[in-house]
Amino acid sequence: MHSVTAIVVAHDGSRWLRDTLRAVLAQTRPVDRGVGVDNGSRDGSRDLLGEAFGKHGVVQMPRGSGFAEAVHEVVRRLPKAPGDTEWIWLIHDDCAPDARALEFLLHAADEYPETAVLGPKLRDWLDRKLLLEVGVTVARSGRRETGLEAREYDQGQHDAEPRGVRDVLAVSSAGMLIRRDVWDELGGLDARLPLFRDDLDFCWRARAAGHRVLAVTAAVAWHAEASSKRRRRIAASDDHPRRLARRYSLFVLMANLPFWTMLWSLLRNTVGSLIRTVLFLVAKQPAHAVDELAAIGSVLFHPLRLRRARKARKGSRAGYRLVKPMFSPPSLAFRRAWEMVQNQLSGGGPMDSAGRHHAVRQPGAEEGDELLNDDDGFLRRTFASPGVRLFVLLTAVAIAAERDLLTGGLLGGGALVPVAGGASDLWAFYTGEWAPPYVAVLAVLSTLTFGKTWLAVSILLLGCVPLSGLSAYLATRSFVSYRPARVWMAATYALLPVATGVVAAGRIGSAVVFILLPVYASLATKVLADTRPVSFNRVARRAAWGLGLLLAVGTAFAPILYVFVAVLGLLAALSFGGVRRGVGGNLLISLGVPLLLLGPWLATIVQDPARILREAGLPMTSSPRLAPEALLTLNPGGPGTPPIWATAGLLAVALGALLLRRHQFIVAVGWGVAIVGVLAATVVSRMSTWPGVPLAFAATGLLVSTALAAHRVAEFRRAGGLRKAGAFLIVLVAFATPVAAATLWIMDQADGPLQRNVRSPLPAIAEAQSKPGQGTLLIRTADTGLTYTVLHGRIPVIGESERAAYGSDFTDAVAGLASGRGGGDAAELAGRGIAFVSVPAPIDPALRRALDSEPTMARITLTDRAGLWRMTGPVTPERPPADDTWHRWWLYGQGVLVVIVLILAAPGARTPETEAVEEIPAGRERVAA
Amino acid sequence: MRRLIENRFGMLALVLIALGAVYGVAFVSRPAPAVPVKAEPVRAPIAAVSTVCPDPGGAMVTAVTPPNAEGTGQTLIEDGDEPATVDEPGKLWQKTMAAGTDPMRVHATGAMASGLEAAQTRRTLTGAARGLAGVRCVDPGADAWFVGPGPAAGDLELHLANVESAPADVALVVYSGEGQVIAERASGLLLKPGEHRVVDLKKVAPSPLVMALNVSTGRGRVAAAVEAATPEGVDWLPQTTGPAERVVVPGLPGSAGRRELYVAAPGESDAVVDVKAVLKDGSYALENRETVEVPAGSVVTLDLSTGVTGQPAAIVLTSETPVVAGLKIVGTGGRTDVAFTAGAPPIDLGSVVADARSTKDVTSRLILSAPDTAADVTVTLLPREGKAPDPIEVAIPAARTKEIILKGPAKGFSVVVMPKTGSGPVYGGRVMEERAAGGQLVTAQPLAVARTWTLVPPVTEQPSAVLSQPS
Repeated sequence: MHSVTAIVVAHDGSRWLRDTLRAVLAQTRPVDRGVGVDNGSRDGSRDLLGEAFGKHGVVQMPRGSGFAEAVHEVVRRLPKAPGDTEWIWLIHDDCAPDARALEFLLHAADEYPETAVLGPKLRDWLDRKLLLEVGVTVARSGRRETGLEAREYDQGQHDAEPRGVRDVLAVSSAGMLIRRDVWDELGGLDARLPLFRDDLDFCWRARAAGHRVLAVTAAVAWHAEASSKRRRRIAASDDHPRRLARRYSLFVLMANLPFWTMLWSLLRNTVGSLIRTVLFLVAKQPAHAVDELAAIGSVLFHPLRLRRARKARKGSRAGYRLVKPMFSPPSLAFRRAWEMVQNQLSGGGPMDSAGRHHAVRQPGAEEGDELLNDDDGFLRRTFASPGVRLFVLLTAVAIAAERDLLTGGLLGGGALVPVAGGASDLWAFYTGEWAPPYVAVLAVLSTLTFGKTWLAVSILLLGCVPLSGLSAYLATRSFVSYRPARVWMAATYALLPVATGVVAAGRIGSAVVFILLPVYASLATKVLADTRPVSFNRVARRAAWGLGLLLAVGTAFAPILYVFVAVLGLLAALSFGGVRRGVGGNLLISLGVPLLLLGPWLATIVQDPARILREAGLPMTSSPRLAPEALLTLNPGGPGTPPIWATAGLLAVALGALLLRRHQFIVAVGWGVAIVGVLAATVVSRMSTWPGVPLAFAATGLLVSTALAAHRVAEFRRAGGLRKAGAFLIVLVAFATPVAAATLWIMDQADGPLQRNVRSPLPAIAEAQSKPGQGTLLIRTADTGLTYTVLHGRIPVIGESERAAYGSDFTDAVAGLASGRGGGDAAELAGRGIAFVSVPAPIDPALRRALDSEPTMARITLTDRAGLWRMTGPVTPERPPADDTWHRWWLYGQGVLVVIVLILAAPGARTPETEAVEEIPAGRERVAA
Repeated sequence: MRRLIENRFGMLALVLIALGAVYGVAFVSRPAPAVPVKAEPVRAPIAAVSTVCPDPGGAMVTAVTPPNAEGTGQTLIEDGDEPATVDEPGKLWQKTMAAGTDPMRVHATGAMASGLEAAQTRRTLTGAARGLAGVRCVDPGADAWFVGPGPAAGDLELHLANVESAPADVALVVYSGEGQVIAERASGLLLKPGEHRVVDLKKVAPSPLVMALNVSTGRGRVAAAVEAATPEGVDWLPQTTGPAERVVVPGLPGSAGRRELYVAAPGESDAVVDVKAVLKDGSYALENRETVEVPAGSVVTLDLSTGVTGQPAAIVLTSETPVVAGLKIVGTGGRTDVAFTAGAPPIDLGSVVADARSTKDVTSRLILSAPDTAADVTVTLLPREGKAPDPIEVAIPAARTKEIILKGPAKGFSVVVMPKTGSGPVYGGRVMEERAAGGQLVTAQPLAVARTWTLVPPVTEQPSAVLSQPS
């Protein structure tokens, strides 16, 4: 015969206690005895217990008592029931067992007489079908593992056959049924674990002692997990439950493992904790980071406590082999890591706290299907997303248009130096001297592309169209809700004349800015439009830091961007600053970060303001005679741009959108940006600079203001009749622009100065025979005379072209050499490190004669394609630049600044406000019960 | 304002006005189409000249630097064991060398380099080598062309000298009347630094009666000169301009004697060459010799005696295929002497002739042609001794040739020819004739561009030079 004593431990749990008690008392197999323990509740729990068990059936404990202490107190007082198999049924105040739970538990106990501990299947208190756990195990990191997916619903999928029981390492103490003799034998729950993991510890010891622990799936209990979810205050400890859980997890693990295994585990967990701490810091969850450190610290710094606990668990360690197979498999660790990455990407923070009883997810604001990296049905959702479809389509268009540029030898031409070298060359260049900062960005990207600079450049430049389409689609998520409009907008943006011009001329600087521009627009909207008070306005602040960082990247590639954004930012500050608090500060952050990150380089630009018009790569002038109609149709001119009628559809639709009386303010702002952009483009163009960046701004303004009105088209269509025809016409005109642009681009084959199979400017002999510090003088015949540059033993990497010039003395010597006047010109050049003179075809005969007649130079080769001469006299190698201490410190400083800005801009946990609304309204609780 | 924005047409009107304004700004600010400014090369004095007199043995060597550059400099004449230095511009250095002297290097730096000119003239009155044979001392180069009689017509010797510090790899290509001569011995001549060598062209190509010779180096540079000793007389072949579609052969004297033109088409295709003579009174196509067809890779001879003998002239050849050309001048008398002239460049930067004489027997003629537009030149004589006479101004009408008999000190003088600013292109030659027993002695030299100035091209440092310019 069984004799079951139900022990209900209550602590400020009156919200659940009524239902719990009712459930305990309504069991189909009634409990034999019921005892209530009140750990000093202040909410009337004691009275509820008294109502249920009678005044004498309630034990009063001090408020700070733990769960184990309470149970011990009861068991100590509990008289033995001779002749019966005695059972203790532990009930939390927030755990209501099903009416037949005890019946099933005892039935299982009868079936498996060697069983010492049984537990029901736990489901969520509110969401009644949600599975919490069916027995638990432990990972080697001490993490409590339920083996369940996040938010898994109980459809019987974990119900074990045969006979509804599963052998598990442990069951939760909520609803745990313990044989009393085993309790006495093992000394019961460890009172040193007042709150969490006491169940795990106890079951471990029971297992190690050779008993079975079963989860009975037929028995169900609903558990609110009030303590770990912080639905109530814990009195047993002042610490956060998360920290307690983590600390006790480690403690249980260390106390029960055999010595050597423990040492290994300790080491593993220490390293793991440090990594996690860093991740938490990056995710800006400093509280988590502190908890993590405190937990591992409390284990490490209290060896005596651990020793005492281990002493008491000799038996447990002896039975380790019985327990070991029950640990969670290592593959689970990888799954957790993946979940962690997913969580971080979806903005939920790098990992959920290890203190929870299961993988709870905050049902926060779902990004819905917009998020490409969601966790379930990844592939299916990916290809259902219009954004991805658009990206694939634009990629196909780009491949078709750039078919001649995709494969082959060196990629270069226009503004792009033939792309050679790898990430290490870029890093060496950037760390070796005062190099333009975009070199660092490219070096980072090249490192990500396995050190292959050509791949990084190809992705940025040749992938400019699909990437800008994707960024336009994603970035406008927050302010254009009508999805077809976003598709149209992104496609039109990606195929603007600016984009095709960027590709054809190899303007990598404009390409980067073009890809980032929609992101700027999105972040700037967040910075400006957040109306919440400053103290809660973390989203806007983060957006400000992110905007600052990306602005720094864009400015490094095309400094003119900064001027433009600064002007727009100032205008915005003037119009919003008074209305919305914090906007000024956030704008200051956004505009200040680039100044901070690019400081010294911007200082050199201030000294030479003309350079503000230059972008990354080789200097390339543009005709100052760009036609006014081209400027108005957002066509920057130059190679790769379509005829000006290609964008006529966009303009027509944009003007038409003005007639709709919706979003008037934003439409006005958009048109304002467009007109300012075209005006700026005019100014810039007249200064012989390619007006790609301002025109991209103008186009963005135009597209946003048009797309905002696009949902009216859908209304027209629904209206039917003439309006339906009108809607059809509008859509036709609107999509004419991207379709025409794509068609023209494909027909044009992205024709321009950018070419594949560019001849290496450095002859192989010179490359092979140049010693360090020696240079090759490259002289080319141009329309305006001769041009020259100096190559240093290899094809220059991107950014080297912005090195300080050699100066007029050197130029005079080159001119003298080219004139053939004899004298000391060649010797002077040799004194500056020139060892070779290379002249690619077409070779001017006069130049060839001059070089041939120079006594201190010898010809190595001369063919139709190139000539190469060598200095026969002594060549003084150019001294490597002196080690610049300032530069080194600046690099360190820049690195630290970037990391800080990254941390400040990184998306942390998405909804910091959830804690404030955690309390569940009383009304709902009643309904749920 | 607010009402304007809220009115649907008001907004449209505002935007259209703004767009119109922007269009206006763009329209007004659009600059006029800029004429591409082509930067002109700048004249700069030559700072160092090195020239080699190929075979000075028994000849009189003259070296001179006209006084036109400021500053100091030095000319070093490496005359065997006793090198001579000159540091005074305008002063002639003249010396008759002992027979068997090695090739002689004349090297000048600084102000002395600006216009340095050197020449050797040998006067032999008896024997097989009877005649006047003069040659301008040559610049070491990588490529040289000679056009004249072939080894079958006499003894032809190629004088090669490597005065550089790097070895020179010399290859010879001979074109004959029958086409290009493929010769095993024509390539792989290696001259060590300081080495000089005389190549008997008979051993390279024995059969050609007329030839065009291309001396080129694979690496290094060499000073090359060809001496021709034919039964008609001896002289050096002057270096001619490289293959070009227009070749001007200047310097035909107004004296009697045969004139024979050699034209070679060293390319891959046949050439149809228009021949015109620029004479005293105009430029004419010669009767029955208006054009000459030159098969690819071969040399053609054209007798011009009936057209130009007795008048100073220059021959202008035009062809769609690049050609090279030379011309033989035969003196009068029982025992003849020959002289050679060849295609030459216009003397835009002036020209200096080192050696000229004017005595009872010796006549020096300066023949100047302006085949395109009228030209004005100044001719200055630099005497070996005594005061320099006043410069002579010479105006040459377009498409005319003028001959000047140079009257100067008997001891010898140099001639400086300098076109005036704005002058058309001028071509010229100097011919020296000596009345001698048995027949006239003659030598000729087309005017070469003086080593005074060089054109310094406009040069800019441009990182984009790493890329080939879009064609």
